[in-house]
Amino acid sequence: MRLSLLLSLFLAIPAFAQLKWETMEQSLKAKPGDREVVATYRFTNTGTTPIIIDNVHTSCGCTTAALAKNEYAPGESGQIVARMDIGARTGHQEKSILVSTKENPRTPTVLRLVADIPVPVVMNPTFVMWGVGETPKPKTIDIKVTDGFPMKVLKVDIDNPGIKVEVSEVHPGVELEVKLTPKDTSRPEMATLLIRTDYPSDNPQTYYAYAKVK
Amino acid sequence: MRALRQAGVILLIALGLAGVTAAVHPKRPSFLAPPRDPNEVSLAQTKQWPGTVLWVDARSESDFASEHVPDAICLNFDNWTDQFPKFLDHYSPGQRVVVYCSATSCQLSREIAEKLRTSGVEDAYFLEGGWEAWKQQKRP
Repeated sequence: MRLSLLLSLFLAIPAFAQLKWETMEQSLKAKPGDREVVATYRFTNTGTTPIIIDNVHTSCGCTTAALAKNEYAPGESGQIVARMDIGARTGHQEKSILVSTKENPRTPTVLRLVADIPVPVVMNPTFVMWGVGETPKPKTIDIKVTDGFPMKVLKVDIDNPGIKVEVSEVHPGVELEVKLTPKDTSRPEMATLLIRTDYPSDNPQTYYAYAKVK
Repeated sequence: MRALRQAGVILLIALGLAGVTAAVHPKRPSFLAPPRDPNEVSLAQTKQWPGTVLWVDARSESDFASEHVPDAICLNFDNWTDQFPKFLDHYSPGQRVVVYCSATSCQLSREIAEKLRTSGVEDAYFLEGGWEAWKQQKRP
């Protein structure tokens, strides 16, 4: 009875237990201007037989995971490098990387990539609109640097002189009120507002807002 | 009889361990259905709305290129800077916007709808069941 019980429990341990991971979760913080977040997951084959990692896939099309080779001898170490494209993502992001072995394809190991992507500038709203023929009353976009960021808004430019821009600084460099007024609403217009900052110093970021007559 | 007793013991151990996991695991699933997100809409709901819905496809550009809801705009986190001005070309203030991604399990549509709302698009929703639900509805 005792022997068969122990045998049953032993057989229930998956072959995957051969892979020992240094960490299965990486938490990273991105900087403004970063294009991607990169996490490395190191492992060692602690088993007595070679192990073949035959499938690595991610929970999001924005994340790739690369493995140098598939087969690892007993005692051999390797790593999976996961890269998450930031794009327009902001805030708390959680992505999974699923790693399957040939011996145990149905129960993948789940690695987690947790990224904190800051929102250094908040624009409220991101766009303003007027209808064609509408009275050209001014509309406002509020721009605020998030607390704790050593960032200053240096300049606000517009790429279309058909829309007048008036910038007033509530708190110089960190809180601005941008008043936009179309000179003419008789025809469609589109303008992009370029909010130029000084941060990070090695790659100062520009943020965009829009004004449209349609 | 003896084998049956052994199987029973194994089952009890497994149930005990499962019970402990369900009680103390920090990531245990909730046994209560989560409340429905007020920004989630069904296809049936969108059909009852007056006016034209602006559809936003949050899937990849390749998925969008192969098939999409008629007149939808491809807008996601990877092409946001390029595509948001195009979205504004199609959007009128007050218009309802419905974002979809591949299926119920996909979170992108929820996230893009939220980003649209924070950008100033007040009526931005996401489609229950995503593209799969749309395709299903089109089947005879």
